[in-house]
Amino acid sequence: VTDIELRDSGATEAAGQTSTALEPAPGLLPGELRPHPSPVRYVLIAVVLVAITAGEVSLYYLEGTLSDAVIVPLLLISMALKFGIVAAWYMHLRTDKPIYARFFILGIVAAITLFGIVLVGLEILS
Amino acid sequence: MATIEQAPPPQAPAGPTHGGDSHPPTSTGASNTKLAIWLFLASDCLFFGAFISAYLLYRGRPQLGPTPAKVYSIPFTSVSAFVLLMSSLTMVLALAAIQRGDLRRLRIWLLSTALLGSVFVSGQIYEFTEFSRKGLGLSTNLFSSTFFVLTGFHGAHVTIGIIWLLSLWVLATQGRLTQADAEKVEIAALYWHFVDVVWIVIFTLVYLIPTK
Repeated sequence: VTDIELRDSGATEAAGQTSTALEPAPGLLPGELRPHPSPVRYVLIAVVLVAITAGEVSLYYLEGTLSDAVIVPLLLISMALKFGIVAAWYMHLRTDKPIYARFFILGIVAAITLFGIVLVGLEILS
Repeated sequence: MATIEQAPPPQAPAGPTHGGDSHPPTSTGASNTKLAIWLFLASDCLFFGAFISAYLLYRGRPQLGPTPAKVYSIPFTSVSAFVLLMSSLTMVLALAAIQRGDLRRLRIWLLSTALLGSVFVSGQIYEFTEFSRKGLGLSTNLFSSTFFVLTGFHGAHVTIGIIWLLSLWVLATQGRLTQADAEKVEIAALYWHFVDVVWIVIFTLVYLIPTK
């Protein structure tokens, strides 16, 4: 258990002591658990994102050569991968407190649920 | 007569600092401004989720007018997707710059991001004009209505982001944006990256997945 996790646990507050849970560790900004990546790493992530995008576009041109049953899942996986990389690294969900990620995931789950409800609703109506 | 002694106001404990600027502590230990933008982004997921759902539900249905396969230019849209991805990189570099107090690079990266965003929006305007030339208007069919509303609202989000970034750039050039204001840039960056991830979804679901 790291020092940060201990501070986040609220154990000090429960003990009635002066809370230090609200203060970030030295060198960190509020809401950060770990330092943000370096600029060099940001560039490397961009290279990965561009490579995945190039792969996606290549898949599009393989339509007819490859079955849609192969292309569509691969495109969806690539999309999810790019989404996850940007959210985790550029939006710092990987290094920030999990409360931010929880809010974001809540929104995504709500959006997917909405799509499911509309889809089922239209199927029933038609 | 007893006098009522007024207790001195409680001293707020030293809160977390952000580049030297002190903030009052919060019950979550996280900045309220940052929490607010994440809540907004969560609600925006629903906003775009509704439009993407509508597009996906209607695009495969038989209808009058040009079909997606006839109007889309994948090479052109791929370049637009690349431009927006690169703008996410310049945005995160702007944030890294202000966090280490490098205000010169902050100005360069902020302006680069705004310019890349402008290139993206210009491409979208060109695309819409081309579609219109090919006979696909907002009310031509269900595909066109849902397509224009979805991509149009995304373009509006990018435009708002550009205005936001240019405002920050103006503040930075006037010396009114310092290392202590890193959170202001971080909030704008979160919004900008969200616009990028929404485009990642639109690019795949709307443009790349084959239509029957």
